Amino acid sequence: MKDAANKADVWQGTMALMVLKTLETMGPLHGYGIARRIEQTSGDRLVLNYGSIYPALVRLEQEGCITSEWGVSENNRKAKYYRVTAAGRKQLRKETRGWAEAASIVARFLAPETGQS
Amino acid sequence: MRARAFLDQLTGWFRRNRREDDLTEEFASHLQLHVDDNVRAGMSPEEARRQAILKFGGLEATKESVRATTRFLWIEHILQDTGYAVRVLRRNRGFAATAILSLALGIGSSVAIFTVADSLLLRSLPYPDASRLVMVWETFSVTHEQHNVASPANYFDWKAQNSVFSEMAGFFDEYHAVVADGQRSEELDAQIVTGDLLPLLRVRPFRGRFFTKEEDESDAQVAVISYRMWQRWFNGDDAVIGRQVQINARPFTIIGVLGPGFYFHKRSTDLWLTLGLKPATAPRTGRWLQVLGRLKPGVSLEQAQTDMTGIAGRLAAAYPANDTGWSVNVEPLRDSLVREVRTSLIMLLCAVALLLGVACANVANLLLARYAARHREMAVRGALGATRLRIVCQLLIESLVLSLSGGSLGIALAYWAVRGLVRLAPQDLTRFTSVSFDARIFLAGIAISFFTGIVFGLLPAWIATRTNLRDALHGNAVSGSGDPSRLRAWLVGAEVAASVVLLAGAGLLFRSMIGLQAVNPGLEASGMLTFRVSLPHARYSQDEQSVRFFHQAAEKLSQIPGVRSVSAVSYLPFNGMAAGTGVAIGGRPPAKPGEELVTVVRTVLPGYFRTLGIPIKHGRDFIDTDNLTTAPLRFIVNQAFVDKFLRGEDPLTKSISVEMNDKNPMGEIIGVVGDLKEGSLDKEPAPTAYYVHAHLPYTAMIFVIRANSPLALVEPARKVIQGIDPQQPIADVRTMEEILDDTFARQRLSALLLGGFSLASLLLASVGIYGVLAYSVARRTREIGVRVALGAAPGRILRLVVGSGARLVMSGAAAGLAGALLLSGLMKGLLFGIGPRDPLSFVFAPAALVGVALLAAYIPARRAARISPVEALRTE
Repeated sequence: MKDAANKADVWQGTMALMVLKTLETMGPLHGYGIARRIEQTSGDRLVLNYGSIYPALVRLEQEGCITSEWGVSENNRKAKYYRVTAAGRKQLRKETRGWAEAASIVARFLAPETGQS
Repeated sequence: MRARAFLDQLTGWFRRNRREDDLTEEFASHLQLHVDDNVRAGMSPEEARRQAILKFGGLEATKESVRATTRFLWIEHILQDTGYAVRVLRRNRGFAATAILSLALGIGSSVAIFTVADSLLLRSLPYPDASRLVMVWETFSVTHEQHNVASPANYFDWKAQNSVFSEMAGFFDEYHAVVADGQRSEELDAQIVTGDLLPLLRVRPFRGRFFTKEEDESDAQVAVISYRMWQRWFNGDDAVIGRQVQINARPFTIIGVLGPGFYFHKRSTDLWLTLGLKPATAPRTGRWLQVLGRLKPGVSLEQAQTDMTGIAGRLAAAYPANDTGWSVNVEPLRDSLVREVRTSLIMLLCAVALLLGVACANVANLLLARYAARHREMAVRGALGATRLRIVCQLLIESLVLSLSGGSLGIALAYWAVRGLVRLAPQDLTRFTSVSFDARIFLAGIAISFFTGIVFGLLPAWIATRTNLRDALHGNAVSGSGDPSRLRAWLVGAEVAASVVLLAGAGLLFRSMIGLQAVNPGLEASGMLTFRVSLPHARYSQDEQSVRFFHQAAEKLSQIPGVRSVSAVSYLPFNGMAAGTGVAIGGRPPAKPGEELVTVVRTVLPGYFRTLGIPIKHGRDFIDTDNLTTAPLRFIVNQAFVDKFLRGEDPLTKSISVEMNDKNPMGEIIGVVGDLKEGSLDKEPAPTAYYVHAHLPYTAMIFVIRANSPLALVEPARKVIQGIDPQQPIADVRTMEEILDDTFARQRLSALLLGGFSLASLLLASVGIYGVLAYSVARRTREIGVRVALGAAPGRILRLVVGSGARLVMSGAAAGLAGALLLSGLMKGLLFGIGPRDPLSFVFAPAALVGVALLAAYIPARRAARISPVEALRTE
């Protein structure tokens, strides 16, 4: 139970980061577009239920990192578009730094171990 | 857990429907986009839809997890904001303390007065279905009396003939019984009842049983006692049932005990005895029975009144000698209990509401000033993407932290205040019902605090966030539409107005109270001890015995060193109780039924008027030779009696007959004495006839002893009485000053409370004026600097600032004066000696306020006048 919760937390954080990054690179985008884009960017190595990005979107919006607005897609379908706010960009930079740091620490830990074996 | 559930409900209540719809629509659009793509990739429409839904991964589950997210976030925000609010307030101790104290004052006084009002006016009486209980009074067209006690025979006729009451019962509670068990004897308050009273109240015996019908009608010697007496006298022993005690020197058997906390009509009652009334023999002359009825289900008060009026009409026709001019008035039991205090309480409730409003305005004012100073913080939050709603919520949470802190403090204050209030309160406030502070009040207090927080927090928060981002970030605090100065001026104006209303009300009450205290009570109250001696009828059944006892006791009491004179009377003046009866004037034809002359009647020992300091205007006092059963019947009457019944005649040549006995022969008037007011000092004196004790030998008399230090005489007096009869207790020991004090306790309490509220309101309004002006001086530092640099003298600057404050105060005071004039009519019943438009109060109130307000304006004005132009121009 505890593990599951932890995993969900990590996933939630990662998902938020990916959403923010996607929105920053792509500009305003709807939920479906964001989800597809995340899969594509991962080279389809990440397979997700598209529905699972909505809690992340709602949370980001509540935190003021993104805003949303109904609009029309290129195929003339009604869709809700999300855009990243100034606070969102700031958050993204902070999280990016955090990830980079975490990744480099983990990398350092793992590197000598592989050397010894 | 509870808080969370509550917040869930709150969020849901505000936004659930909109958000749900939005989400459903968004998911539909998502699926549509996906289906489009799939179709373009070559799938059949059905397959495309199936794949899209599969990929989405459960619509309802996703919705639920979105819901969970939003809920969780809400609580997180509130916790964050609360933490933040506490930190902000901690950093601004001065502000926080002022706001919290203002609120504690406003909420505390509201809760305290609400507690009293709740117990007396709102809470149902502690009997099942108490709203169906009514008092049935007789009314008399000649005196316009609306709440007269009933004649026992009339009561039985009502009971037999009515179709609106499921039950009716009678009682009498001005009865004191001497209880003795061989070891000790004590005088206790008793209620004498018909056997159906306790069942009518739906009360059950805690031990034993209640009266049977036979016991009721045969005047059986059985008693029911209170839980209090059971504990105090019998230590809660179950063997009390069947115990014998002496009540008024007759053996009684205890048959039942009432439950803890039970009371009816008079909380000090310890003993219930039967009246022993039977329909066949109940007298129609003499009215003394209080009647209680329980309305049948579905019968309204009006229907009951109509039915009873009809019965009264038939009785008046059947018994013209007794019932002409008499009818019936049906009054809800609660109304009959709070009749006297109702107006005071409603007035006080209005006053605390005003005070609470002033406190709210004051805190709103403080908040506006603070938010103006935090403009930049809010702008930054806005720039970082916080929505206006989010900022408003955060500010509201700050307000709620303030109001709940103030409220908790206020509730604590109220808890103590209520205890003090009950102690200070006049007897008639607490005699009939208990005032209690419980969880209900606590919850009401919290609700008031919560509501207050939203009232004073919402508007400032809304205005403060109506901000122009760029201006704010550039440090231009003053931006046209966001400038809250006008609102602040309005708020202060309103505070001033409310304070004027309160001050005017307090002024009226204080003037009334001073008027009351200046009323000549008609006697010399200082240095007088009073106590009651109720002789048991069983041991003093012969009139001579009682006459001898009181004569002897008065003689021995007067020999105690320090005693200047001693007498006794059947009913003391001012305590609201006296017998009334018909009177006939010698030489006049007997009055027609319904037009009889009515007089108050007292029986006294010789020397009564001298002892009380009541002036003898004509003739003489009773002397010892009058106080013999063999002496000729003589009366003394008061001035009001002469003015009303013997105008223009020489009273000392007249004989009167005062109906108190079976035979009422004429007796000559030997003296006319000064008037005393009955009941309370604001009532007109009633005609009174005095018997001497030997001719109307009551067995219960109240001794009055004049001495220099009356309280030192209590023990010697008790010894004297018990020297004559060792089993005879004395009761109700009080000084005349206490009794007199009690008569204006109600007015005094109202005046003190309203005075306190108006001072608090004045203080708050001054803080408001000071705040607004200090803020405006700070903001106009530069402008003032320029004025000084251009040669404006300090005096001119002073006038400028004080003037801007004065405008506020004057318009507020004018509005308040108008409001007070409108409202003061409601206080008419509480005033004495002055009209509700008493000019002095209406000049004094605004004058006091303007004085204090200008003082509050002077402090920031002086600061403005001292501004150095050099520094001022450097500030920005």
